[in-house]
Amino acid sequence: MLESLYRRFPTVLMAQRNLTRTRARSVLASLGIVIGVIAIASLGMFGVALESSISDNLGTLGNQVTVSPNQDAGVQNLTERDIQEIRRAVGPDVSVSPGKQAVKPISYDRGPRRSELVYGIDDPASVYNASDGRIPDPFRSGVLVGEAVAEDEDLQPGNTITVNGTSMRVRAVLNATSSFSQLNPENRVYLPMPAFDQRGYQQVYVTAESGAAANESAMAIRDGLNDRQQRVTVQELGALVDQINETFQIVNTVLVGIAAISLFVAGISILNVMLMSTVERREEIGVLRAVGYQKRDVLKVMLMEATLLGVFGGIVGVGVSALVGLVINHYTVEDATAMFRLVNLGYLLAAFSFAVVVSVLSGLYPAWKAASEEPVEALRG
Amino acid sequence: MTVIDARNLVKRYRTGGQTLEALKGVDFALEPGEFVSVMGPSGSGKTTLLNILGLLATPTEGRLLLQDRDVTDLNDRERTVLRKRAIGFVFQHFYLLPTLSAVENVEVPRLFDRDRNRRDRARDLLTRVGLGDRLDHRPDQLSGGQKQRVAIARSLINEPKIVLADEPTGSLDRETGRQILDEFRRIADERDVGIIAVTHDELVNEYVDRTINLVDGALQWETLDA
Repeated sequence: MLESLYRRFPTVLMAQRNLTRTRARSVLASLGIVIGVIAIASLGMFGVALESSISDNLGTLGNQVTVSPNQDAGVQNLTERDIQEIRRAVGPDVSVSPGKQAVKPISYDRGPRRSELVYGIDDPASVYNASDGRIPDPFRSGVLVGEAVAEDEDLQPGNTITVNGTSMRVRAVLNATSSFSQLNPENRVYLPMPAFDQRGYQQVYVTAESGAAANESAMAIRDGLNDRQQRVTVQELGALVDQINETFQIVNTVLVGIAAISLFVAGISILNVMLMSTVERREEIGVLRAVGYQKRDVLKVMLMEATLLGVFGGIVGVGVSALVGLVINHYTVEDATAMFRLVNLGYLLAAFSFAVVVSVLSGLYPAWKAASEEPVEALRG
Repeated sequence: MTVIDARNLVKRYRTGGQTLEALKGVDFALEPGEFVSVMGPSGSGKTTLLNILGLLATPTEGRLLLQDRDVTDLNDRERTVLRKRAIGFVFQHFYLLPTLSAVENVEVPRLFDRDRNRRDRARDLLTRVGLGDRLDHRPDQLSGGQKQRVAIARSLINEPKIVLADEPTGSLDRETGRQILDEFRRIADERDVGIIAVTHDELVNEYVDRTINLVDGALQWETLDA
């Protein structure tokens, strides 16, 4: 098979033989390319993995809208009517969960009393899962605690917490949800709604299907409730998520850019190797010119050598990078096959192409030098 | 008809502030099938003459006709095309590509051509110079004489009208030198190829049709009967 390849592309034959003549040198020159490719592709894929792991964590954050009373306008609480209006504004597909919060004196398991923010919730069973115990439905008595609270205070279902002087039994420990969500119960203590004295709600969490739907809901809520008076402030997190993603992309670009420098260094080592080789093979090149090789034929052979160095280095580099990518994805996204995403393949392809381009560019000057040598001068030795 | 006809060749080099005249008006013609040696001390202009005849260099003055065509003023590309078509080279140090086998080395001048018979003709040429059993050997597996035979086969692959040899026996012992000269003689006789050998080696003169002496860039005629 090689034989027929060589017959068709004699340049490849000559270039390949020339490279194998100084095998160690050629391998070292392509090693630079290998490292450059790995640097670019791995950093690129690392960035992608990191970004996707962050956005997994941010998860539904972009889909959430928080509605709170506009205290600047003197609105202290959101009423049942406000909640109805919000529900009407966002439509049936968007979940609306009103919440109360208040600072209350708490002591865990007869410990010292502290003032802490506690949350009220209507229907916890529909929102959370219990990691321990059972969430009562309906939720009328007892308390629910988040996993982090349970761990810090060494709580289990059945333990008691004293809230505002009343002992309450822990019913369940709630599973953490995605860590950046405003509904994440991890660090919270939930009481049933009746445990709060104040009327109305302090916060309404609106969760839509997507970031775009969340944005629409936010606008609908503003239109519906802030018509005559600025009753509510609506907080959208989609923009924040976009900003975080954008920042990640910038960081990633900078990293890949730095990695690209290593490919330039590799290019210089190819330039060096090729220059050495043209000096050493001066006479051979002179003979080629004498027996009827045009300048461009010599140029072709030399450029082919540089290209082969780049292609060889690129292939090895892409192979190693793919493995690195599998490992990165295994640890950051916990799914090695996430490596085969289109972006990652894009990075591999880009690193490979860049490697070849850099190699060819590095070969240009030595090749030109070899081709423009006068055969008479070259043969004089 | 002459294969190559040089008229009043002058070659001057400018080195530093001085002008060096390497050839001072040389007239020279070669018939097909003629084997000529060019003798002369070092610095007499032998190699310069050979380079000009081989279209590797251009004369400062004078004309050069290759098969009755004036080739004096051709550019590098055109001269390269003509070199390939009409001229074969044999060097003192063989200059084979160390990475290629004997047969591949013979193919080198035609490597970039679409030529289905290239491999067969290379084998054939090598067989004729007595290397039929060394086709796939690399140069470092061949003796000096064998390398020079490969070089001769290489010089013939383009079916040239002239073969130019620069000290072809210079790196060989006497016995091997004789074999190589026999080879040249046979090529001249059988293929009607004109051969010019620049040499210091008196042995060459036993094989050639005539010898020209170059002293200080000018010819001194002296004809030998073959």
